[in-house]
Amino acid sequence: MNEILRIENLSFVYGKGTPFEKVALDNVSVSFEKGKITGLIGHTGSGKSTLVNLLNGLYKPTDGKVYLDGKDIWENPKEIAKIRYRVGLVMQYPEYQLFDETVRADIGFGPRNLGLTEEEINERVIEAARFAGVGADLLDKSPFELSGGQKRRVAIAGIIAMRPDVLVLDEPAAGLDPRGRREILGSLRDYVNQVGASVILVSHSMEDMAHYCDNVVVMNSAKVYRTGTVKSIFSEAESLISVGLDVPMISRVADELRRRGIDLQGELYTVDGVKSAILRYVKEVRK
Amino acid sequence: MNDCIIKTENLGFTYADDEELATAEIPALAGVSINIGRGEYVAILGHNGSGKSTLAKLLNMILTPNVGKIYIDGRDITAEDFTEDDMFDIRRKIGMVFQNPDNQLVATVVEEDVAFGPENLGLPREEIRRRVNSSLSLVGMTEYARHAPHKLSGGQKQRVAIAGIIAMKPQVIIFDESTAMLDPQGRREVVDIMERLNREENITILNITHYMEEAARADRVIVINDGRIALDGTPREVFSNVEKLREMGLEAPQGNELILELKNAGIKIDGDSLTESECIETLYKFLS
Amino acid sequence: MISDITLGQFFPGFSPIHKLDPRTKIILATLFIVAIFVANNAVGFALMAMFTLVLIALSRISFKVILKSIKPIVFILLFTAIINVFITKGDGAPLLSFWIIEIYEEGIARAIMMALRVIILIVGTSVLLTYTTSPISLTDGLESLLSPLKKIKVPVHTFAMMMSIALRFIPTLIEETEKIMNAQKSRGADFTSGSLVQRAKALIPLLVPLFVSSFKRAEELATAMECRCYRGDKNRTKLVKLEYKARDFVFMALLVLLLVSVICLSTLPYNYPSFGFIYDLMFYKV
Repeated sequence: MNEILRIENLSFVYGKGTPFEKVALDNVSVSFEKGKITGLIGHTGSGKSTLVNLLNGLYKPTDGKVYLDGKDIWENPKEIAKIRYRVGLVMQYPEYQLFDETVRADIGFGPRNLGLTEEEINERVIEAARFAGVGADLLDKSPFELSGGQKRRVAIAGIIAMRPDVLVLDEPAAGLDPRGRREILGSLRDYVNQVGASVILVSHSMEDMAHYCDNVVVMNSAKVYRTGTVKSIFSEAESLISVGLDVPMISRVADELRRRGIDLQGELYTVDGVKSAILRYVKEVRK
Repeated sequence: MNDCIIKTENLGFTYADDEELATAEIPALAGVSINIGRGEYVAILGHNGSGKSTLAKLLNMILTPNVGKIYIDGRDITAEDFTEDDMFDIRRKIGMVFQNPDNQLVATVVEEDVAFGPENLGLPREEIRRRVNSSLSLVGMTEYARHAPHKLSGGQKQRVAIAGIIAMKPQVIIFDESTAMLDPQGRREVVDIMERLNREENITILNITHYMEEAARADRVIVINDGRIALDGTPREVFSNVEKLREMGLEAPQGNELILELKNAGIKIDGDSLTESECIETLYKFLS
Repeated sequence: MISDITLGQFFPGFSPIHKLDPRTKIILATLFIVAIFVANNAVGFALMAMFTLVLIALSRISFKVILKSIKPIVFILLFTAIINVFITKGDGAPLLSFWIIEIYEEGIARAIMMALRVIILIVGTSVLLTYTTSPISLTDGLESLLSPLKKIKVPVHTFAMMMSIALRFIPTLIEETEKIMNAQKSRGADFTSGSLVQRAKALIPLLVPLFVSSFKRAEELATAMECRCYRGDKNRTKLVKLEYKARDFVFMALLVLLLVSVICLSTLPYNYPSFGFIYDLMFYKV
């Protein structure tokens, strides 16, 4: 497997040595494939946010290593800022980071910090805006005039403009309506395909995982609970439910039908997948 | 319905954009007439910017309508002779829980926050104490009474906010996207409380949301689109309009979507599919 | 944990000092401050020191904590003490004299008393107020004590409400600041290096979002408060009512007694030739 990020025996303890000590990650090893969208799921407190902050060097591991493209990111602690550019993190509610007078200037903030020329900056702004779905007509507006969904996309463009090797998004669709969700999550696939970047998508929503991801990493109480392709993960619906995660309603329906002897085959975790499976099944039976 | 707690007639509202955005003033609400009966559990569904939050703010007198009438508990709140005291009386009857749990908690101790409303009502101390205790136990937060709100999870904060509203003994509680910022666990907690308040305390619930799973649990769903009422009925009726919902940027439960997709693919299938078990039964009947 | 800052220096507990009404504690602290400034001889200071030790014992706050509270002011204490030693001119012959420096008996006495005064002041008020009273009850106490000012239209309630809301939101804002800083760091922002001007400029990406969200918060909070029928202190009652208990009166009586004794002691004349050296030392005035 061609991996971009790999973590080995990673542990992280908050407030080590104080009465508030709390183990957030406990000896975790997992790797993230290059050019794929990997979903990171687990309920609040499972350690997924901590993991995200460790991946881009905002936190320093208590124990263990993070390898980016085969290199230990903490090899030279002074260079850790550079790692943060290469692993771009879009935080929850990223619209709160907008500050500049125009959308263009705000998206260009990162590239400008990299010391690029105006020409390069402009090129990157336009590219990033396109990937994040920010219309060209918005570039010269103030970010504070935009709607919630537009602001969110501008903030994501601000990270994409850094051209990170890995784009990490923490609940990028939180609080948006279904259409806003689809627009933001749907644009990720184009981004991955065209740039060849890797994406890590943190989400609570199993439906989103099923829809938009290639691989899934399931976290539970400070450990990696399961990891694999979307299909393999969702074929074990029971084990996900046992750690308190919801599988999509549609895969529960398909599961129950199979249990009753209807032999559905295929990707039984999206509406489209189940539809095709039913159509195939009907065809078989009619034959 | 004779016994309406909320009734609006031809309600219209336009935000006056005084900023440079001199774009044509688009009405946030237009011609909205609804009747909400006492003790109903209603979900108001709509995409961001559809006008659903504006409706809530009008009902609670945070905004004043440009046109139309609103009757709360039989009183016309748009009437000329409506005084400030009357307004606070309405706000006591119609409680509101907002989206961001952080921005509605006032005090540094949970029970003092819950007491905030009753204190404003000028109730005697013993009564405030009684209400604080019973409200906290209704939302299952009694053991956190002496905690600091900023240490709680999102769902817990929202439960404290709800307790603060219950303590004012409202007849209606409006949840204005109160679950949008919560994780699935927190969302479940809050929706469970809504249901309990409706069933056990007979409080009228208006849940403004864009999560269709939540709306499906209500007794009635009103869909607002572009400031107008687009659909109004039981969840079963409303969610059978899969295509219409999609056009409005919303979703129907996956079961409804699947059945529609199958129909579109030329399969003759019929039956309910709102809930998981209904969907299973419908498909099983067809496939076996 | 950085977000615990709202607790300030407060150590929760159930000691007799903790249980005092916050108003009592504010009054006690005021009397205490007056007394420490009135005290001007060794006996007066000894009395104050003893009283402070009793307070510490009653509050059950560890001595370590108390010492810690003095640590940050050690430098200032030493500095003022040294200045006092050097610049005070006495009546008698200097104890020590070289080059332009002359040290007198009075200088040393003064330095010791000044240092004692500051230490007792800090420790006493910390134990009475900050260590044993939560900021929120301090606010309540102040509001209640200042309420007579309402008659002359001072918006006491509004100020108290502002203070308690500020206390409520400090942890939230700290969290938010951290979040925005991290977000901008991910975009290459550098808050820690460069010239002063560069650093000030680097704060813009932090401050603008912080202001924007604070204003939004303020607006939402105001709406939420109105929805909960908040209309200032008009017709408002309170869940927690401050009530003076017997122990409050006991402590107040004690402090009045202390103050009166210190005042009496301070008026005793120094230098009764007939009472001798020990007397002089005890009642030497600074």
